[in-house]
This record gives sequence, C-alpha cells and structure tokens, in this order.
Amino acid sequence: MTRSELLQQLQTVFDSVFLEDVAVTPELSAEDVDEWDSVTHVTLIVGIEQQFGFRFGLGEVARARNVGQLLEVIERHLA
Amino acid sequence: MPPGMSDDRRQTPDPQRLKDLLEQADDAFWPQLTAACRHSDSFLELLQLDKLSRLGQRSHPSPPSLPGARVALVGGCTFSPLDRLLRTRLLGHGLRAELVLGDFDNHVRELLDPGSAIYGADPEIIVLVPSRRLGHFPGSLAADPEQVRSAALETVSQLVALAGAVADHSAATLLVSNWPLPWERDPGAFRSRSPASDWSYRKLLNQELGLRLPAAARIVDAEFISARMGTAAADDPQGWLESRQPGSIGLQVELATEIARLIARGRSASKKVLALDLDNTLWGGIIGDDGLDGIELGDTTARGEAFKDFQRYVKSLKDRGVLLAVCSKNSDEIAREPFERHPEMVLELDDVVAFQANWEPKPVNLRRIAEQLNLGIDSIVFVDDNPAEIEIVRQMAPEVTAVLLPEDPGRLVATLRERDDFEPAVLTSEDAARTEQYRQEARRRQLEAATPDLDAYLESLQMVIEIHPFRDLDLPRITQLINKVNQFNLTTVRRTAAEVRQIADSSDHVALTSRLSDKFGDHGLTSVVILEIDGAGARVDTWLMSCRVLQRQVEDEMLNEMISRLRRRGVTRLAGEYRPTAKNALVADLFPGLGFQTSEQTPERSTYDLEIAPYIPRTTRISRP
Repeated sequence: MTRSELLQQLQTVFDSVFLEDVAVTPELSAEDVDEWDSVTHVTLIVGIEQQFGFRFGLGEVARARNVGQLLEVIERHLA
Repeated sequence: MPPGMSDDRRQTPDPQRLKDLLEQADDAFWPQLTAACRHSDSFLELLQLDKLSRLGQRSHPSPPSLPGARVALVGGCTFSPLDRLLRTRLLGHGLRAELVLGDFDNHVRELLDPGSAIYGADPEIIVLVPSRRLGHFPGSLAADPEQVRSAALETVSQLVALAGAVADHSAATLLVSNWPLPWERDPGAFRSRSPASDWSYRKLLNQELGLRLPAAARIVDAEFISARMGTAAADDPQGWLESRQPGSIGLQVELATEIARLIARGRSASKKVLALDLDNTLWGGIIGDDGLDGIELGDTTARGEAFKDFQRYVKSLKDRGVLLAVCSKNSDEIAREPFERHPEMVLELDDVVAFQANWEPKPVNLRRIAEQLNLGIDSIVFVDDNPAEIEIVRQMAPEVTAVLLPEDPGRLVATLRERDDFEPAVLTSEDAARTEQYRQEARRRQLEAATPDLDAYLESLQMVIEIHPFRDLDLPRITQLINKVNQFNLTTVRRTAAEVRQIADSSDHVALTSRLSDKFGDHGLTSVVILEIDGAGARVDTWLMSCRVLQRQVEDEMLNEMISRLRRRGVTRLAGEYRPTAKNALVADLFPGLGFQTSEQTPERSTYDLEIAPYIPRTTRISRP
C-alpha cells in the first residue's frame, strides 16, 4: 500500500470518528483537532484497527498523538 | 446465520448515500438514517451513522423532534466507543440519546451517593456494567464449593444493594450487565467440575444475579450474547489492558444493540396477541382443498411432526399469557373443523380468544381482533407463510408486527423462537390467567348483543368490586398497569416500581386499586387511581383502567370511593386532568360525564373541578363483597 493510499484510508477513519472536517496529513497532530482527546483517541485507534484489519501491540500507540507516528506503526504492521 | 433469522430485513442505505441525502436536504434522510442505525453491524459504519446523525441535527432543515432518552452508563470499564454505538442504536429505535458517563470503576460511589453527578443528570435509565475482575474467583481451583458459592453471592449482593440504592435515589430503571462467558481452554475438562473455574463461576454469578436482582431492574444478558456470538470473539484481553474495554468490538456492538432494545421495549406497547394463519402454518396443506384427512399434521411424518411441534410451541406461548387469535382466509366452518375433529391438533378452540376466518382482507380482520379484545392493534404479532399477506398487513396495518414464516416447516419453530416479541417484563400469575379472562370478555360481548337493556345486562353480570389502598403484594401488577395501559388512562404518567412504592407509603397520596369479578370469573386487579392531596384540595394524578372492564360502571364505583375517602380527610375539592395522547380519546369526556366542571381547556390538557360537599354517590349495578 502506498503512502497516499494509506493516508486515504486513514482519512476514512478520521471522517468517521471526528465531527469536524479534518484533512489527514503526516503532520497532523492531536493539538490540531479539538475533539482528539484521550477518549476519542481510543475510538480512533479501534477504528484504525478495524479499517486495516490488524491489532496494535500493547502500548504501541497509546501516546502516538500525530499522524506521522501512527503511519510508521501502521506501515510496520502492514509490511 | 441461525435458522429463521431476519428474513424481513430490508435493504439499508450505506453512509455515502446518506451523506448525499443530507447534502441535498432530502426528506428521506432521517427515515433512511434510522433504518441504517437499526440494521448496520459494522463498527466503522455505526460510527459514521452516529456522525451523520449529529451533522443532521445541525444542518438538515427538518430534524425530526425525536423523543429523548437520558441514559447513564456506569461501571468498571471504559464507555468509549460503546457510547457512540449505543447512541446509534437508540436512534435506530427513533430515540435521541442523551448520555451521561460515569467514571471508570467509580459506580459504587456514584450509585450510593444521592448527590452524585449521575443522579444529578436525572437519567431515565442507568446501565451498570460490573468489572470483569469480579467474574473471576480469587481463590484456588480446588476451593470448597460452599466457599466459592459464598464469594459469588457476595458479589451479587453488592449489585443487588446498588439496585436498591438506585431505587431509593432516583426514578431510573436500572439495567445490569452480567458476565460474558470465558473462552480459555484452561483448566480443560475440569472446568465444569469445579465451581471455581472461570467457566463455572461466571455461570454461577449470572444465575444468582438473574434470580436475585429486583424485578424492576433488567439484565443485559452478556452471557447469552457472548455464547451466541462465540466466547472467543466476544473477549478482548488486550483491549482491557490497553483502555479497559468491556469486551471485543463485536461484543460492544451487540451490547449496544441489546441495551437499546431494552430501552425501546420499555417505552413501547407490549405485544400481547399472536394472530395465526391456518393453512401451511398450523398444518401442512389447505384444509378447504385437502380436507381433514389430507392435511399434514401429526407425528407419523417429519413434516406433520414439524407442524405439530409448531402448535406445541404456540400453546406454550399461550400458557405464559400470550393471547392466541386466528386470522385466516377460509370459511368459518371449515376453518374450525380441524380444531374440532382432527386427532393430532394440539391447539383447541378454547385456546383461541378471537377467531376470524372469512374472506375479507387480513388487515381488516386484524383490526377486528384488536377491537374484539379491546386491545391496541399494535399489540398484535401476525404470522403467515404467504408473503403477499405479510405485505398487505405491513402496508395497511403497519402497527402490527408481521412475521413471514418459512416455506419449510422444519424452520417454523425456529423462526418464531428467534424473535423476542413476547419477552415478559415480570411474569405475574395474572398474565397466565389472561386467556381465560379475555375469553370471558368475548362471551360477555355476545351476551351484550343479546340483551339490549344495558341496565338489565349489568345486573345480570352479578358484579362484585373490591377497592383497596395499594398493597405490597399488588405492587408488581400496579406497576405493570401504570406502564402498559394506554386507552383508559387520563394522564398516562408512567412510573417505576420504586416510584409506585413511594406513593404506596406516602401520606400525601390516596392510592387505590380495584378488582372486579362477575358470574363469568375474576378480572383481577384492573383499575388504579392515585390522588395527590394538598390541604383542602386534591388532584387526580393517575386514573387508569384495563379495557377488560370497560363500560361496567367501575369508574363510578372508583369515584364514589375516592370522594368518601377524601371527605374523611377533610378535602373539599377534587381537581381532574385529561392529557390527550394518540390512544386515550376514550376518556376525553370522562370527567364532565361524571359531573366535574370544566375549568381550562387547551390542546395539551383539560382540567376539571368537583365540589365534594354536594356530591351524591353514583348508583351502579356493582355490589361490594
């Protein structure tokens, strides 16, 4: 899966989780999105797992608060 | 898919299509959104639907004014994303969720403290999900069974105590989730030989919880849900460690579905009548064509046995209080023949309270059945093997739940048992006696037709009424009536068991029930009145009556009793109120008819007044015991 395909699929998940319109880029971080708090983070992570069909390792993304970090981990799982 | 599952599930639109409808401000948006919220099983799709509903509330020109449901979620787990799933599912039932979330593992304090934020939100429903940690016996696998049992009972008693606190501190209905079953193979085949294994211990906990939780609280049966979906698919140990998730995403979707169903069920008319087609439903073949010895019924062939099994199941529904009706396109005489003469019939004519066999459209006959039984047509579940009949009923009598039966008789019983239309809230002995009472009502109506003189008719019934203040033993039945009666109901105020108990114990209320019996039998407790007293004035807060005893002068007797009790307490004036609903037009003129003066009339309510001093007791044909 290319980076842009990955970003596109991530966009679908972000669109499902957040009410506000959020453009997903590698630079996007939790500070840029009002709704992205620890509670929606859980939903976001579960949404990513459902979208890509794998499970993150324990603690792997608990503190990943920007898309770039998430992308790295996702790519590792899909490799 | 289990046998007989959701054959009537309609095509549901995907989120993208809904998004387009929203952008075009199309009127189809809301109905299609609610349908999708009901049917979608995909987690991401449910999230999208939740988002669409929130966007729709903001931007769609005509968001429907849906009734709100205030729900608090408390317990030993995280409620995100369960909250969104629940909100979506509630919308699927046409309810707008207002959710309040408790803090993780803080439910004991939240429910014991009357000043907690949970009670402050005044929820109608409190959902309690106990910690998964409690689903594990802390001692050894070889522990003494009595020791294991007392540990389970201790956990259950704590939950029962919390249920008591909820009843004391709020008017909310409590839903308590039990424990999903485990999936681990350890400790092998020994798991069923020691109550200390997770497998046995959780079953023990769940059974004790089911038996001990007060009837007014409901169980969210996570045990059943997990077993049905597969216990391995229901659990998610990692999700628990990561963020205290109550189970897998799949389990959470099912929990949300079940919680929403219980909430919606608590607000809608309960199903009371099973209306049955005959040909290819109760027997194989067509009685009018195949004749008595040509129809398939009985244990000698597999198909005949399947129809007989179906009848046995239907009879068991009748035994737990479901009223059976026949709705068949047949001539009456031919339709009755198998009941009277076929040796393999399980159902008898006496089991059937309303028998409509003729050539008119089935929706007409279903309405007739409802009228004959004095019930709302929305209390009927209709089953038929003919899709055309199901369709005409869905179109012309949409309030009826119409269930298409499978062509293959081997799946008849499963199709009906897959559904939970007749889920009892509380099983009272009055439920079981109901068929007899309704059959007497049908007989009475015949008698009524033959006696044009109403007074003489009433006299001939030899009616006896007993009127009592609320008594402990009657509280379940009183609560049931308060939450069920739609037609003869002046104010349609619903109350929980806890609220009813408060009123029973209150000195500011006069709360009365009546039982009517006559020469055909006992109608049981059928009438409830709650008067609120304030100095020299009193107000009719609640006045309702089961329609089984309509036009029997029970309301006159009740008013006589109210006035005599109010006089003794020095009350001089009684105020009445009528709040119109879709169903209670029957009593729109009750107060004026009883001699009350109209004081105010608006579309929302009419109020009335009665001076107690000049009141002359109304004469009736009912005697006191």
